[in-house]
Amino acid sequence: MRALTTWRWNPVLGEYESGEPRPLRGTGEISAIQAFSDKTMLLLGGTGFVGKVLLAMVLDRFPELKHLVVQVRRKKNLTGEERFYTETLQSPPLKVIVDRIGGESVVRQKVKVVEGDLDEPLCGISEQDIEALKGKVDIVVNLAGVVDFDPPVNESVEPNVYGTQHLLELVNVLSAKLVHVSTSYVAGKKDGRVSEDTAIEGYFPEHEKRQNETFSVAEELKWYERFVEETRATRTTNPKPVRERLREGGLARADYWGWTNTYTYTKSMGEQLIAQTPGVAYAIVRPAIVESSLRFPFPGWNEGFTTSAPLVLMGGEGVKNWPVRKDGPLEIIPVDIVAEGILIVTAAVLCGRNKRVYHLASADQNPIMLPRLVAFLGMNSRYKHKHKKTGSRLANAWKAYVETEVITVDTLQSRRTRLHRGLDVMHAALTLGKTLLGAKRVDPYLKSLRDTRRQIRAQEITLDKFLPFMFHNSFIFETKNIREAARMLTDEDLKRLKWDPETIDWADYWVNVHTKGIERWIRPVFTAQRKKN
Amino acid sequence: MNKAAFYDLDGTLLAGNLVSMHAYYARNDRSPIKSIYQFLKVLLSVPLLFGLDLYSRSLFNVVSFRAYRGMHRDRLIGLADDLFEVTLKPSIFPHAQALIDTTRQLGYRNVLVTGTLDFTIRPIALHFGIEEVICNRLEFKNHIATGRVLPVLLAEHEKARSVREYAARENIDLSKSCAFSDSSADVPMLSEVGFPVATNPTRRLRRVAIQKHWPLLELREGSPSFPSFLQPADAAKAF
Repeated sequence: MRALTTWRWNPVLGEYESGEPRPLRGTGEISAIQAFSDKTMLLLGGTGFVGKVLLAMVLDRFPELKHLVVQVRRKKNLTGEERFYTETLQSPPLKVIVDRIGGESVVRQKVKVVEGDLDEPLCGISEQDIEALKGKVDIVVNLAGVVDFDPPVNESVEPNVYGTQHLLELVNVLSAKLVHVSTSYVAGKKDGRVSEDTAIEGYFPEHEKRQNETFSVAEELKWYERFVEETRATRTTNPKPVRERLREGGLARADYWGWTNTYTYTKSMGEQLIAQTPGVAYAIVRPAIVESSLRFPFPGWNEGFTTSAPLVLMGGEGVKNWPVRKDGPLEIIPVDIVAEGILIVTAAVLCGRNKRVYHLASADQNPIMLPRLVAFLGMNSRYKHKHKKTGSRLANAWKAYVETEVITVDTLQSRRTRLHRGLDVMHAALTLGKTLLGAKRVDPYLKSLRDTRRQIRAQEITLDKFLPFMFHNSFIFETKNIREAARMLTDEDLKRLKWDPETIDWADYWVNVHTKGIERWIRPVFTAQRKKN
Repeated sequence: MNKAAFYDLDGTLLAGNLVSMHAYYARNDRSPIKSIYQFLKVLLSVPLLFGLDLYSRSLFNVVSFRAYRGMHRDRLIGLADDLFEVTLKPSIFPHAQALIDTTRQLGYRNVLVTGTLDFTIRPIALHFGIEEVICNRLEFKNHIATGRVLPVLLAEHEKARSVREYAARENIDLSKSCAFSDSSADVPMLSEVGFPVATNPTRRLRRVAIQKHWPLLELREGSPSFPSFLQPADAAKAF
């Protein structure tokens, strides 16, 4: 819907402004259009959430680019190329763009697919392909990696650390420049503003508390190899599953150095490898929590469970108690703005005018505070449950009319204990009822209680995973560098790429774009998965 | 040159009004006690608003929007979908969608021109498939409604002016355009276009329409016969 008015919402002031928006002006120190002209870009991780949007954006906005080489991992019985054309290109964000630019034939002229795998040397790209690409690739953009917060440590170290080693070998062989996408949360357990100027190499979040210790990736990898070996060797003597022990080991190690989870710990190690490798022209891009698209290729596109989607889904299911900081923002950033940011950085790297680190985040200029988001979750639950025709009427009314509440972690723990005690009592009563009234009458209730318990437990686990970002730490990632890079572009560039999270109307975005996007794209996948389990 | 179909909303396409919309927000305040208090305030203001509507639509709007004072914008936006489901969707006139589809098929650009607020309009516009909206906006300070409307308040002559402005900007030929409204307050807007239609007219508008030979249209019941310029065969002549 286009509201025909000259009033524009200023989200920072919380009021409308009148008049035409000021046209974007750049200093023209660098030109993205020129930087991309006749260049070849190698994209790793183009099949992921950010990757697909970036791929679509390059195809749509930079026809000047000579070639786009996309590395795709083989999947079961699909070759990389088959997977790219039958899966990636058919995905909603790419399908729209491919149709707009003239169909698959246009893509085939521009794009070359190479098969590869980050876990293998030279990212698994065949010798033949390497020979063909040598000296021809100008820039490598790496979005590949594993985003799971707490997998078994090997599943995170292999792609995020060894994978980065393989990436560096590849960049070296191809003599290309590198844009590496990491995460803002490599900052670890911290409060307050996070600078882009902090040294990368040797960084660990607890360095202020433990000044006598030093962090080195080489030492860390030695620990890792030893730990994995020992854990696997005790497979028969230790009753706990190896995977679980590897998972816990990774989390404990991350926690020791001050990182929030295995993901941020291994991503930081990847960054450090790049920073300590001499002779690489690189920039590290660190997005915050990447969320549904704001405008491109269409509002609300979302995929996977690495965004705030699990929280929105839980809110939609009627969770009322939210442990969040009353004074803290949630550092979110729409995926299309992230893609634009990556392309701005890529242009800066190609022109040799880049900084080392770029945060892509919003709270620096336009924070969305957590209590506002909690209120939105409640309103979504109201809408969903008020008009629901199935399920218990009483439960639906409770989920619709009881408002969400911001609480502390202590309150959350005591409420959880009370809830579980209540469920225990119910379980005991039903078990007694079973002996008195017979299994036939009571079993359905027992089953329903078991299901509810399982659902509550799953929600608790999800919530705990997000606590570092919502309660334990409150971050604001400084975004000076990306704003500076965007200002250096030409006016013509700014028509294709802009960095403008300061203009996002969060209420409209969260309610009408993000929540609806999650309900449209993520809920069906989530429901199907739950049924399967 | 293009042509457009301008639609009023309340009373024309659905039976809702500003009071029922605000009553919804009052009923759905954050706590039950606040809700009861707010709802009573709305009930008490009904006779005043009824009188004001007979006297001046602009004044009626000013007073009814004052009731939003102190409300957070997040809540107004967050509850808009529910407001639509509860209050507005059931009150859509049975033949409203058919009319909107007809004008679209005949090449008119559909535009809602209404005194209703932007956040309320959104789900309605999406439901009808209308992409362009000229509507009122509340003034906010630090996300809280002040109870005032951003100038200029869209009603009566202002609606006519904004239609003229829109036509000039979008290269629309008003003499080939049409407009639909139920209220005599919209006579200025109806007079701007070549094909005004008194839709579900109030008694006052019916009198004006008969005097001016404007066609009458009933979307509330029965099977409506659309004015001749909306019949496919005659549509060609309108070009």
